[in-house]
Amino acid sequence: MTAAHQGRDGPPEPRRTRAALTLTEVSVPGRLHPLSLEVEAGKLVGLVGPNGSGKSTLLSVAAGLLPSAAPGRVRWGADELPTIPVIERGRRTAWAPQEAHFEFGFSVRSVVAQGRYAHGDDEAGVAEALAAMDLGGLAARPVNRLSGGERQRVLLARALATDAPLQLWDEPLAALDVRHGLQTLALADRLKRAGRTIVLSLHDLRLAHCLDLVVVLHEGRLRAVGAPEAVLTPELLHEVFGVRASFRPGLTLELS
Amino acid sequence: MSASGRAAPSGPPKRATAVPPYLLAFALLLLLAAVSLAVGDVRLSPAQLWAGLLRQDEFAATILWHIRLPRLIIAMLVGAALSASGLVMQAYFRNSLASPGLLGVSAGGAAGAVVAIGCGLAAISLLTVPFFAMAGALVATGAVISLARRGASTERLLLAGVALNALLGAVTSYVLSAHTITYERNAQILFWLLGGLEDRTWEHVWMAAAIVPAACLLLPLGRPMDLLSLGATEAQSLGVDVRRLRRWLIGLSTVLTALATAVAGTVGFVGLIVPHILRLLVGPEHRRLVPLSLVAGGAFVVGCDVIGRTVGDLRLGIVTSLIGGPFFLWLLRRGER
Repeated sequence: MTAAHQGRDGPPEPRRTRAALTLTEVSVPGRLHPLSLEVEAGKLVGLVGPNGSGKSTLLSVAAGLLPSAAPGRVRWGADELPTIPVIERGRRTAWAPQEAHFEFGFSVRSVVAQGRYAHGDDEAGVAEALAAMDLGGLAARPVNRLSGGERQRVLLARALATDAPLQLWDEPLAALDVRHGLQTLALADRLKRAGRTIVLSLHDLRLAHCLDLVVVLHEGRLRAVGAPEAVLTPELLHEVFGVRASFRPGLTLELS
Repeated sequence: MSASGRAAPSGPPKRATAVPPYLLAFALLLLLAAVSLAVGDVRLSPAQLWAGLLRQDEFAATILWHIRLPRLIIAMLVGAALSASGLVMQAYFRNSLASPGLLGVSAGGAAGAVVAIGCGLAAISLLTVPFFAMAGALVATGAVISLARRGASTERLLLAGVALNALLGAVTSYVLSAHTITYERNAQILFWLLGGLEDRTWEHVWMAAAIVPAACLLLPLGRPMDLLSLGATEAQSLGVDVRRLRRWLIGLSTVLTALATAVAGTVGFVGLIVPHILRLLVGPEHRRLVPLSLVAGGAFVVGCDVIGRTVGDLRLGIVTSLIGGPFFLWLLRRGER
C-alpha cells in the first residue's frame, strides 16, 4: 500500500491513479439513468442527492447486487464484475445497507464475524471491527434487540470485518448519534489513508467537507462530480435540493 | 464453534454448557427409540428387546422386525425431514413462522397423494402414491416461490400459503366427496390427511430412505444459511451465491417434506416447533441447528408416536399438534420473561 507509507503529513502526491471502481453507462430502468463514474483508489467519495435520487440504487449497482441494464458495465480495479467469482466479491468489496431487519437473534459478534465468510470464517479483524464501531460492550447482545443506530453500527462493523479494499456504505450516518457519526467519518478517513476506497451516501451536506469527491444525483441522473467546495455551490443546492445555502458561524461539533 | 467459544468470557453464561447439545439430542433419540420399540400391545423387557433385535427370541424378533422397527425408522426419518425442512424454510424466507405446512407444501403432497388414490392409481404400484405426493409438493412449492419471490414479506408469504392451502384443500375435499361410496379409498385418503405411522412396512422405509442423502446434502449449507437468514442481498455481498443456495435449499426442503408426506401423510407442526425449540436452546446458528434439527426432529416424532400409542392409538398428526401446541405456547411465554 503506497498510500499507507506516505504518512499523513505528506504533500498530496499523485497516489496510485488506478481506478478502484469504474461504472460505465450503468442504468436501472425507472431508477437510474445511464451514468458513468470513475472512483480512484484511496479516496473518500460521497453520494448526495434528495430522497429517491438514486443513491442506494447506484451503490447497489456498484456493489454488483443489482444488475445494470445493458450496456452498463461495472469494473472493480481492472476486473469486469462478471469475471469475479461471487466468493471473491465478498473479499474485494463490502456493502453496508442503509438498514436491516434481523429476524433471528444472532449475537452482534457473530453477525460481524459474517464479514469473514468469504475468508473461510477465519475471525481475523472481527474484534477490531467491533471496537472500531464501539460495539465491544454489545458483542453478546442479540441483534434483534438493538436500536436502529446500534444496528447500523453492526452493519458497518461487518463491512469493516471483510477488510475489503472497496467499501460501499449506504447512509452510514443516518441513524447514528453525533459522536458515533463523527467517529465513523474519522474511521472512513483512516481507511482512506490506509489505501482503502470508501463510497458512501449521505444527507448531511455540512459533512461534505470531509470528502475527496462529491457525486450529486438528482432524479436518477448524475448532476455533478467534483471536489466538495467546487460542486456544492448555493446555485446547485438550490436547484437540486430546493434550499438556500449560506455560511454563518454556528454550532460546530468535533470529536473530543 | 469458534465464534461463541471465543466470545465466552463476555457472552451469556448459558453458552458454556458442559454437555454438548448434540450428545443430549442423540441420547434423547436413543432413549425414545428404545421406549418406542419396547411399548405397544405387547410390552418387551430390555432383555427381550435385545434378544429380539439379535433375532434370538423368535416372538420378540417378529414384533420388532416386522412392526416396530420399520415404524420407528419411519418416525425418525419423517421427524428429521420435517424439522429440517421447516428450518430451511425459515432461513429461506427469513421468517420464523414459515413451515412446510403453512406454505402448503405438505398440503400439496397430500393433495397429490389423495388424487392418486381417488383415481384408483394407488393399486398400480406401491410407488405411485409417493410419486404423486412428491409431484403435488413440487407444484405447491413452485407456486409459493413465484407468489412470494420478492423480499418475501411475512404477509405475502402467509397469504400465499393460506391461498394455496385453501386451493389444495378444495382439491382434496373434491376427491373425498367424489368417492364417498368407495369406503376403502376414503379410508386411504383419511390416512393421508391425518398423518400416521400405522402398518408401515420395510417398503415404506426404503421409500423414505432418500431422506438420508437429502439431509446429508443439507449439512454443509448451515453456514451460508446463517447469512441468508439475515438478508439475501447482504449474504450476496458477503460472498454467498444466493441464487444457487436458494435453489438447493428449496429443492432439498421440498424433497424432504414430500418424502415425509409420502410415507406418513400430513404431519403438522413438527417443522415449526422443533426449530423454534432448538433456537431457544442453542441460539440461531445454522451450523448447529441443521444437524440438531435432524436428530431432535426424529426424537420429537418418535416421542409423539410413543405417546400416541400408549394413550390409545392417537394418530401421529393429532399427537404432534396436541402435544406441540401447548408446549410451544409455554415456551413462548417463558421466552417473553
